[in-house]
Amino acid sequence: MESLPRLGYGLGLRPVYYDEILSTRPPVDWFEIISENYMIPGGRPLVMLERFRADYPIVMHGVSMSLASTDPLDLDYLKALKALADRVEPAWVSDHLAWTGVHGRNLHDLLPIPYTREALNHVVERIGRVQDILKRRLVVENASTYVTFTQSEMPEWEFVAQMAERADCLLLLDVNNVFVSGFNHGFDNNAFIDAVPADRVAQFHMAGHTDNETHLIDTHDQPIREEVWTLYERARRRFGDVSVMIERDDNFPPFSELLGELQHMRDIDAAIAANASRSAA
Amino acid sequence: MKLAELQSLFQSAVLTGDAEDAAILDVIAAPRDADRPTMMGVYVNAYRLRLAEFLDEDYPALRVMLGDDDFEALVEAYIDANPSRLRNARWYTTRLPEFMQESENWNANALAIGLALFERALTDAYDAADAPAHGIETLAEFSPQDWPRLGFTFHPSLRLIEVAAGVLDAYVAATADEHEDEDEEAPGSAEEDEGALDEDDIPIEDYPPYASDGETIAIWRADLDPAYRQLDPDEYLALCEAMAGQSFGDICQLVAFQNEGQSATERLAQFLVTWFSEGLVIGVAEAK
Repeated sequence: MESLPRLGYGLGLRPVYYDEILSTRPPVDWFEIISENYMIPGGRPLVMLERFRADYPIVMHGVSMSLASTDPLDLDYLKALKALADRVEPAWVSDHLAWTGVHGRNLHDLLPIPYTREALNHVVERIGRVQDILKRRLVVENASTYVTFTQSEMPEWEFVAQMAERADCLLLLDVNNVFVSGFNHGFDNNAFIDAVPADRVAQFHMAGHTDNETHLIDTHDQPIREEVWTLYERARRRFGDVSVMIERDDNFPPFSELLGELQHMRDIDAAIAANASRSAA
Repeated sequence: MKLAELQSLFQSAVLTGDAEDAAILDVIAAPRDADRPTMMGVYVNAYRLRLAEFLDEDYPALRVMLGDDDFEALVEAYIDANPSRLRNARWYTTRLPEFMQESENWNANALAIGLALFERALTDAYDAADAPAHGIETLAEFSPQDWPRLGFTFHPSLRLIEVAAGVLDAYVAATADEHEDEDEEAPGSAEEDEGALDEDDIPIEDYPPYASDGETIAIWRADLDPAYRQLDPDEYLALCEAMAGQSFGDICQLVAFQNEGQSATERLAQFLVTWFSEGLVIGVAEAK
């Protein structure tokens, strides 16, 4: 299978940090953009994106593909997405295992699906069509969820694994989403990490969440929690040096704080590598 | 239950704001700790919060002018009446001014509608299509005898609006704190605007009611940021006609009609110099 480049340690490219990134050239290996924020006619966002693209690898991450919706695929959206991809030449394009609306409506949210054979067939067929239209392999992310459905016929990780194999797509493993969904639904996070096919994972997401005691919400407005770092270590051991980035979308801290989280990630990875070397010796 | 039916049920519960909708709760598995309405409520609440956030981001001055309670009532009414059909959330807020014009609760507040129109134009100017502006030297490519037949094309970000008197003052007052931090040389900043007011100069209740002699404003993008300028009636007329494709000569006649006794050609030439210097003109050609 073709493998995507190992980009290293990245961050989400958010306007609040534009000036600091341009003036300080921080030690970030790559940036991920929210595709829709740049699917606009022109102006500052696209100008800035071109400046960043000249210096950093860029990955396009979308939130509106609605892969699991039973509405028809939005071909205008896919055409605009492809136009942006042709312009940006990203390392890859990703979106979510989710739907955003039906009957022509859009709830602007990543909505949950039942893990059924019907849903699996539906999603696999649509990923195939998207890949044909975009003329590139799609990278699909596990979403965080707050409900599951009684009719589900398999655990989420089995659905994800089958989807990747059958659609021949790649996976964006959101480690925080695994943790959030695992907490909310009471499944074993480690089982999820261990079941995902290692050769399909192209990228990790890391992020913070909000703890509401009875449930967790994937808010991207907090530092990464210790339990998620622990799960990250497990994922890193299993999937190797796939590209990783931190999503921060609200309650923006000083940029140095995000650089600190990236450094913590590098330190964890260095310790894992050192352990592996000692074991091999 | 088929996937399509499940998605219809789920969406219906979110759109109606009913996290206790029995039909959807029946097919939701028991969560680990929370109850099912609480977990369904995450989606129900997120839907409204997200759309409200889009409106907050695009109409910050309107919130200040109306006050939090009235603005949030407007947002709630807009969300109820306008479930999104857009793939990209960027344009969800676009119809707010028209919604206000069509709503009995808001259509008498011309100042608020004007401010909404103004803020929408700022948002639209921000990410309108790019186009290189022409300098005044472009005119030298044409002989003076051809000038009456010249027509102009304008930057895609340029918008003209005609709103109630007091809208610009309301905007400046509402964004006074923000402007204090801005570069004083920035186009369209409060300092450049004639009659710019301090935040406390006009109490909200004393804003003038809608007057037929409203304000005419040009909004565009300059150096990647939105800019604006209030136009005199004759410049507004001239720019409207120029944007509609009328030639220099035809516009001169209209301006002369508006300003009898003045040299229409000189006046329009002044306008043109300004339009070129502001980066508004992206094309010059003989009008058809």
